Amino acid sequence: MMNRSHIHGAGLGLKRELIPQIQSHHNQTLISNIQFVEIAPENWIDAGSKASKQLDWFAARYPIVCHGLCLSLGGISPLNTDFLQLVKQFLNRYNIDIYTEHLSYCTDAYQGKQGYLYDLLPIPFTEEAVHYVAQRIRQTQDILGRRIGIENASYYAAAPISEMSELAFLNAVLSEADCMLHLDINNIYVNSVNFNFDPLAFLRGIPQERIIYSHIAGHYQQSPDLLIDTHGEDVIDPVWALLKDAYDLFGVFPTLLERDNNIPALDTLMQEVDKIADLQRQAIPRSSRPNTTTLTSLIA
Amino acid sequence: MTDTLPSFQQYQLAFTARIRNPHNQPVPTDVVPERMAVYDEIVFNNLLESVSACFPVARKTIGKAAWLKLVQAFLKEHSADTPLFRKIPEEFLTFLQHSKLALAPYLQALCHYEWIELYLSSLPALDSPSANTHGNLAQQPLVFTPAMQLLSYDYAVHRISPRHKPKIQEPTYLLVHRDANDKVKFIELNPMTFKLLTLLKSGEVTAEQALIMLADELKHPQPQIIMQFGLGVLLDLQNQGIILGTTY
Repeated sequence: MMNRSHIHGAGLGLKRELIPQIQSHHNQTLISNIQFVEIAPENWIDAGSKASKQLDWFAARYPIVCHGLCLSLGGISPLNTDFLQLVKQFLNRYNIDIYTEHLSYCTDAYQGKQGYLYDLLPIPFTEEAVHYVAQRIRQTQDILGRRIGIENASYYAAAPISEMSELAFLNAVLSEADCMLHLDINNIYVNSVNFNFDPLAFLRGIPQERIIYSHIAGHYQQSPDLLIDTHGEDVIDPVWALLKDAYDLFGVFPTLLERDNNIPALDTLMQEVDKIADLQRQAIPRSSRPNTTTLTSLIA
Repeated sequence: MTDTLPSFQQYQLAFTARIRNPHNQPVPTDVVPERMAVYDEIVFNNLLESVSACFPVARKTIGKAAWLKLVQAFLKEHSADTPLFRKIPEEFLTFLQHSKLALAPYLQALCHYEWIELYLSSLPALDSPSANTHGNLAQQPLVFTPAMQLLSYDYAVHRISPRHKPKIQEPTYLLVHRDANDKVKFIELNPMTFKLLTLLKSGEVTAEQALIMLADELKHPQPQIIMQFGLGVLLDLQNQGIILGTTY
């Protein structure tokens, strides 16, 4: 059963570089605000004996969540059900309840194979795409025997054939697939700059009862109107402000810091994890808000 | 045929065709070229990083420009079938095997040698088969550690560097294994030891039988020397944890 009570507070994306530092600071104040960790199954399935020892260590000490990269929910290739079986075994092996994926695609069925391109490509926002992706999410949920979360993805190139806004597309998919939302605060901000919309209005438009947890991260400013979602910089103030807005609007939900490039030392990184925890303490807990019962009914 | 696809999929195919081959494929209609360029770049750079991380010697040896061209061809010509990032280098090896590009003659061997380290470290924890550690190495079949391989190459792959690009073939034999601390280690073997270990790994002969065969093959005047040498090697491999013992 998927239950969000498994995770709470602030979390950190688990990068191999960070593992020795986290292990050596175990039970120390420096990292006390790390309440859960996140991994990409594509980096850890079949990753060898050393990796499985590391995961055993974390699984014994932290709730782990899985955030996938290559399921290609919007891809033209058939859904990779062999891979999903591996994911299922992996989730069971490490007692992981939560699996989320991007609302994007990364395959093109080139030469009759999957054709992985290993990056997150934007699905055109069309009616047909809504049905297609929602059906694949449902298929995924059937195979895994659990509800999954989908993340609002960052993107850079608008498809001229899109028939609706990103928000309308996201909401239509969430509703038709009846899945959870992995809310990426930085991606809302990145897209709002790249496509000139109001990030707060976007936030107000999401179905908050579907939020399973959220991401926050830094990005790279390539030009004033183009931000690249690198996860390689510090989180900027407008993104922190948006997280605070989200807590104010919806109450507190678990939030995880992603840092995939340019990774600083753990004590520097912890300043941002601590900041998530601070914002959560300052905000109204979600459980004291009237409309959280919808969430419980979704989860059951 | 693509005409029968929904428009969003037709668009996706135009988009990915461009990403795979940005020098020859157009930007899809009405897509902002500067924004398309972001995808041209991030997909390629991501792939380049994954491939380069596994093949640092090959990259340096053939040089930056040639390496970039090779990874561009990989993106353009190869359809990767694995979602696991660790297996991208394996896809690259498959691409090299089928590529019609004029490659340095040693490149495939070198890349295989660089990849095998990743491959062995990616193997799961393997249960060691039971072995008698006090058995007679000469007269009983041997048990090897499961995380090992015997490798033979046409080039001295372990000595290749930008300053040492092999001009001629040089048959090379290596043993690679993962030790108890999950470290991958290579041992260079002479041809006879390679033959000996290949025979013993098959599990069909004892060391004594194998060494007699090898001494015969070599028409060695003093087979006893071969026997002593061979058993010395096996003891050494046992001390390094590569031979776990004997089957009974």
